[in-house]
Amino acid sequence: MTEYWPWWAGAAGLALTTINYAVTTDRSFGVSGAWDRVLHWRAERRVERVNEQFADERVLTAALAAATTDQFGAGSAPPAAHPAPDDDARTPRRDGRRPASPSPSLARLLPAPLVSQVALLLSIFVGGWIAAVTAGRFQLRLDMGDAFGQIVSDKPIEMIGALFVGGVLVGFGTRLAGGCSSGHGLNGCGRLQPVSIVATAVFFGTGVLVSFLLWKVI
Amino acid sequence: MRTRGGILAANIIAGLALGYTVANIGFGDYGELNRMFTFQELRMFLAFAGAVAIIVVVFAALRVRRTPGRLHAGVIPGAILFGGGWAISGGCPAIPIVQVASGYLPALVTIAGIVVGIRLCRWANMRYFHLDSGSCER
Repeated sequence: MTEYWPWWAGAAGLALTTINYAVTTDRSFGVSGAWDRVLHWRAERRVERVNEQFADERVLTAALAAATTDQFGAGSAPPAAHPAPDDDARTPRRDGRRPASPSPSLARLLPAPLVSQVALLLSIFVGGWIAAVTAGRFQLRLDMGDAFGQIVSDKPIEMIGALFVGGVLVGFGTRLAGGCSSGHGLNGCGRLQPVSIVATAVFFGTGVLVSFLLWKVI
Repeated sequence: MRTRGGILAANIIAGLALGYTVANIGFGDYGELNRMFTFQELRMFLAFAGAVAIIVVVFAALRVRRTPGRLHAGVIPGAILFGGGWAISGGCPAIPIVQVASGYLPALVTIAGIVVGIRLCRWANMRYFHLDSGSCER
């Protein structure tokens, strides 16, 4: 079995993952946000369909101009927000088909496609599995390891109860706080966002407090 | 990489890299996590803090834009619940996935708990909290 990575390799890996995503997509990623959107996929699909109707800024501008003309006459239509060459692919289409992609300024404001959030969660599984297999750590087991048994409980019912309650707290807490260790911790703190710095300090601080209680008291 | 397909590819790369890295740091190992939180071993804490330090420097150099974020009423209570749940179950939202991928089958219970918690939060937010975006409703 291979040892865990030294701290500097872990830091480099986490930083590279976060920086690569931000630079290539101009977005942040957050695992709790991905969970939230995947679990509410029906509502998210409805939002995506509405967004797709107005995916092109020029189509939206043309629709607003047409509505203004209908209401106030031909001389009152506002100019297009971003004039483009005649053969621009983003020119409004009159055949009803969707444009190939949203305009860059609008695309940044839209949430990442739902399918990409599903892919993120599945890819985490595959990445974790590759790491476990290549390091010789993969082993199917019905416990959470010796440390969990010593610190929390080694009784199956208590273990399941602790894992479930802990999971509910994680799920509820991350969505209430608006992010988790990846969203607030890496992406938010990396951007020096005050809300993320506060959230990260609080969840790490609580983690320290509860872990000491479990280790020394309970 | 800012088209639909590009974002999909970026998410797959980020997921693979995150799962691989988190598993190799040891975040999926409850014993390692407890040793980090109780300061018996600083390796994982330094990995996280070191990553944040690198990201801060690189983002500043590249002038990566800030995303909107507001310190609303749900942030601190939510972070307290999350920190407590992380210490008890050993899982933040990505880690139980890595634990199951490493063979820890009881982590499926943690995932079930996370599913219930996330759905409960959105329901409670719509019914009681009415917090704006950035909280339960993204």
